[in-house]
Amino acid sequence: MKQNGQIVYAQNLAKSYAVGKREIEALRGIDFTISPGEFVVLLGPSGAGKTTTLNLVGGLDRPTSGALSVAGQMVAEGELHATERSLDALRREQVGFVFSEFHLLPTLTAVENVQVPLVWVDESGRDRAEALLCRVGLGHRLTHRPDELSGGEMQRVALARALINEPALLLADEPTANLDTSTRDEIFELLRELSNEGLAILFATHDHELAERGDTVLRLSDGVILDG
Amino acid sequence: MSLTRLAIKSLLQRPARTLLTIASVAASMAVLFSLLSFNSGYQEGLQNQMQQMGVHLMVVPIGCPYEAASLVLEGGDIENYLDEGIAGKIAGMEGVAIAAPSLMHAIVRPEDGRTDIYLGINEKQLELKNWWRLNNGEKPDGRLLAGDDSLLLGWDAALIEKREETGEKLWVPEIDAEFTVTGILEPTGTQDDGFFYVPLHTAQERFGLDGQITAVQVRLTDPSLAADVGDELEKMFPGAEIIRMEELLGSMSALMDSARALIFAIVAVVVAISAVGVLNTMLMSVFERTRELGVLRATGAGKLHIFSLVWTETLALTALGGLTGLALAAVAARGVEVVIKRFVPMAPQEAMTHFDPRSALICVLAILGVGLVAGIYPSLRAANIRTIEALRSE
Repeated sequence: MKQNGQIVYAQNLAKSYAVGKREIEALRGIDFTISPGEFVVLLGPSGAGKTTTLNLVGGLDRPTSGALSVAGQMVAEGELHATERSLDALRREQVGFVFSEFHLLPTLTAVENVQVPLVWVDESGRDRAEALLCRVGLGHRLTHRPDELSGGEMQRVALARALINEPALLLADEPTANLDTSTRDEIFELLRELSNEGLAILFATHDHELAERGDTVLRLSDGVILDG
Repeated sequence: MSLTRLAIKSLLQRPARTLLTIASVAASMAVLFSLLSFNSGYQEGLQNQMQQMGVHLMVVPIGCPYEAASLVLEGGDIENYLDEGIAGKIAGMEGVAIAAPSLMHAIVRPEDGRTDIYLGINEKQLELKNWWRLNNGEKPDGRLLAGDDSLLLGWDAALIEKREETGEKLWVPEIDAEFTVTGILEPTGTQDDGFFYVPLHTAQERFGLDGQITAVQVRLTDPSLAADVGDELEKMFPGAEIIRMEELLGSMSALMDSARALIFAIVAVVVAISAVGVLNTMLMSVFERTRELGVLRATGAGKLHIFSLVWTETLALTALGGLTGLALAAVAARGVEVVIKRFVPMAPQEAMTHFDPRSALICVLAILGVGLVAGIYPSLRAANIRTIEALRSE
């Protein structure tokens, strides 16, 4: 499988689901690559296949066919699929996720939420978590719980959590969907900064205005990339 | 942050439910520990009491000794007595250290709601009960029974009669006799505390039972001789009943075994209910936190991590409940003992529930077992959720 130093290499990637007796083709053979530091926007309406693409790249789901490698690790190639254990390790070491609904644990403080991925590698990383929260502008909110934070602050905590393991790739599933315009722009700028520092980002959105600010835009419709 | 800390924080998401589950585990743990420590304390107490009696064999008139004791307490007349002379014969037997005759008689006082037990004894009884001490710290001796009107009071008897000093008089109208208190015994924690001790010959005279006794208590030079000496006594005195104290202890233990079987059946049900409660709590928690578990998978947690997390939560829940229950049981042990004693036959008078490390260990292992078993299914459910479906769930 050709990779050429790319963080993500996807070729003819397809995913279909069986719903009852019907087969739904969520992705119909898409090709794309993401290089280190590249900010790729996946643009499309609901049901276009954005989340499916993120799930495949993040190793949360397996493609029906096609080839996919992430951070130099084969996820799928034809009939071959990576084991669940190696996909867990991929997410632990190379991939960070950010969701539209933040998904913070309500009983943990901001800094503890950021530390969660470190539990799986038996590290504390308290200093690193605090430094990351300072980096995303929440140095004054370290010990606040999610119910004491605004939407934008919660998304910053989620972003810090996604970055704690120093991933090569950040997968962002409509991370600004539940934010007001100014907060949306702040979060987006933060992601741009991270991308400029070398982090590869795959950013799913249906917001055309935001999409124009990415390095690459993949327009997704009915499981097919229309251009790019 | 450690997995354990994450598990405990997760339990705090539903504090009321967590507390209720801990309370239910604590309640079953308290019951389990109380019953176990009571059980061991009961056996120990019974044996101590037997040891304190210092008696290996008892020779009593033929018939049921329990019925005779009941008759005495009701103030009735015992039909059969032993001849006082057999005490001397028994004392002369090989292997016998002390043979102490006694005559028991009760004076019923219905107006006061009590029955006073008078026990005619001689100096042999004082030798036999060599652990007795007077309330002035001295060891009692034969001088206390020297006068015809001598009266040695057990601790409770002295309290009932409000006698505190030697030399005080006690008029007993039922037998038209006045006694002089020669000593008051320190409490022993046994039925001895409630008796009125008078010289044997005085008791025989006052109760119209000249030359008769109700029992000879025998201490052997070696307790292992009890069976042989007992057999010989049966041959020598066919009109007497020989009670081997070991057998009596065995009868009591058999009674206790029945009670204990019932107790453990109840405990098993309580523990099972507690396990089902924990299982239910954890399953509900897993269902409610499906999306959260999906997020944890997305952050890199493997199936084993999720399994360990939920299992740790279950163990933390049961361990917290268990420790709370142990603390509760330790604090409330006396109260539980009072209740239990009402239902257990022939309970020793001394305190029976105490912090028994062995029982505590059994309880801790049992509760950990409950946690381990009750946690398996919810942990497996949690570990096997499909991540993308979990992330989509509400």
